[in-house]
Amino acid sequence: MTHSIGANDARSALTAVRHSRQQVIAEIDMPRWYWLGLAAGWFGMGVVSDFGPGWLALSVVPLFGAAHAAVAGKVLSGRKRSSQLSVRAELAGTHIPALVIGFLIALVGITIAIALLVNADGARHPATIAGAFAAVIVALGGPQLMAAVRRRAARRAGP
Amino acid sequence: MAEPRFDELIHPSTRLSVVALLAAADWVDFAFVRDRLGLSDSALSKQFATLEEAGYVVTERLLVNRRRRVRVRLTDAGRRAFDGHVAALQDIVATADQTVVP
Repeated sequence: MTHSIGANDARSALTAVRHSRQQVIAEIDMPRWYWLGLAAGWFGMGVVSDFGPGWLALSVVPLFGAAHAAVAGKVLSGRKRSSQLSVRAELAGTHIPALVIGFLIALVGITIAIALLVNADGARHPATIAGAFAAVIVALGGPQLMAAVRRRAARRAGP
Repeated sequence: MAEPRFDELIHPSTRLSVVALLAAADWVDFAFVRDRLGLSDSALSKQFATLEEAGYVVTERLLVNRRRRVRVRLTDAGRRAFDGHVAALQDIVATADQTVVP
């Protein structure tokens, strides 16, 4: 193998490679509409549970789950935030869907726990209060979760 | 780890940045590369033409939401060349570091 560059040039070139890679890592995310839609849906479920007719309260959770499943398949990988690129799986990691689903399952538990606590305290609309609390966690925590994923991807990315 | 292989075609700084961007993605929109690297359309087109001629990238012209888009992706040969080039750069740095250490 022959080449005509020195170590400093090689270092500069590797820095450029790292910089380009970081620009792609910065794109690992989910669309903002996903988190906002999830937060709105979560709050909506609480409102319907408290104020809606019984049949609607019973059907809203499976409907929400079905709607989520329909859109989540396209965005849950975290590799297609926009239509401008698809991040390589080995860079983004394959754990993002499991991480997000785990986050949502934990949130279901938190929502139920809050609703029970608020109900025990005598509040009139426990599901709405719990739904609002969970919606705030989704809207703020979702993007934070993805920021943590990006930091991890940046650390894992080679030199 | 790829076998170190210095690639003169990839090495020029702009082209290296372009290929490194492509290597981190399955495919990338032309506009994304242009905007991130601050290149003009014509300058970037020239880079892609050179890389395409070498068989390192393929471009696809698509109609997405009634807008024309150009998507670019690295070929297997391009990815191998890039990985080998990065390994060669790392080798150069490692060799220099070993020389300095007493």
